[in-house]
Amino acid sequence: MSGKEERVSRSEEAIILHHLDSLMVKEQEISGVLVSTGDGFRVASRLTGSLSAEKLSAMASSLIAINEAVCKESSLGACRDLVIEASQGRILLMDIPHPAQKLILTVLCRAKVTMGQVLWAARGCRESLGKLFVGS
Amino acid sequence: MSDREYKLIFTGSMGAGKTTAIAAVSEVAPVRTEMQNTDHAHHVKETTTTGLDYGVVTLPGGEVLRLFGTPGQVRFQFMWEILGKGALGVVVLADNSSEDPVGDVLEYARAFADVIDGSRAVVGVGRMDVHPVPTLEDYDAALRGIGVRVPVVSTDVRQREQVLTLLDILFYQIDAASEFSGAALQEVP
Ligand SMILES: Nc1nc2c(ncn2[C@@H]2O[C@H](COP(=O)(O)OP(=O)(O)OP(=O)(O)O)[C@@H](O)[C@H]2O)c(=O)[nH]1
Ligand SMILES: [Mg+2]
Repeated sequence: MSGKEERVSRSEEAIILHHLDSLMVKEQEISGVLVSTGDGFRVASRLTGSLSAEKLSAMASSLIAINEAVCKESSLGACRDLVIEASQGRILLMDIPHPAQKLILTVLCRAKVTMGQVLWAARGCRESLGKLFVGS
Repeated sequence: MSDREYKLIFTGSMGAGKTTAIAAVSEVAPVRTEMQNTDHAHHVKETTTTGLDYGVVTLPGGEVLRLFGTPGQVRFQFMWEILGKGALGVVVLADNSSEDPVGDVLEYARAFADVIDGSRAVVGVGRMDVHPVPTLEDYDAALRGIGVRVPVVSTDVRQREQVLTLLDILFYQIDAASEFSGAALQEVP
């Protein structure tokens, strides 16, 4: 139902992947990372096993969109990070600053790591990606 | 949900008018979850629904209709499954100016086959004024081909009255289907 279209160039993807890799090196308990567009297309990913970056990109889009609707509905201001607590880990979703389009950073991590630790690392990655896009 | 409440689905292709339709009739400020569209090859619209739409309509008889709109693109199929749970009927919207609107309608009819159950749906075809082909008969024939017998009507979802008409038709379809299954149940000894 949809034509495949490149959203970032190969070289841009390589630079984004470099940032994702260094996040995973910094925090060993992070088991997967994904950058996707606001409307649910994969831009770059480091995922393990059978996880589909395409499906996770669409899910991240739905989650962020619903998150924003809930923030608006409850008049609690602009939406920031979305944290999902699962029995065996956490999933973090956050916007990446970009001048032209909304991009989403999704971070999957195992339970052992503390919340502050992973949030700190993910936000750092988000900032460096943001600088990349704003500077480009 | 009380027995006077009905969960209904609005589905259909990207840009068919699901968000517009729900906003046109809802008595409460509709919930929208639109994101910037980056797939301009597929559709030129600025934004697209990636979560869900939500609105409420009360019929003159007191029945409360809870309207849930789906994202259109197949990559959001998991949302179709989530939203379809517990739904009693489906409004399938089509954009007659798109490439294969009949094929699109069949795809959503298949995806929501469990809810539709052969008849609990109505198909609303938009933009027929400027794109008269395919005809309503074309849709009807294709749907019958997959065992779905539902009314197919021309509509303009920007008009509140026309969306209410779609809901009236769907409501009738659901009623008829429930009476039929109710009768069937009573026949069981
Ligand atoms: N000219 C014309 N425009 C229409 C008609 N029906 C709907 N539209 C327009 O088509 C657009 C439909 O957009 P949406 O309501 O966002 O469509 P949607 O189905 O929610 O799209 P997605 O969320 O992207 O899947 C709106 O701009 C409507 O005003 C029609 O019969 N004629
Ligand atoms: Mg929409």
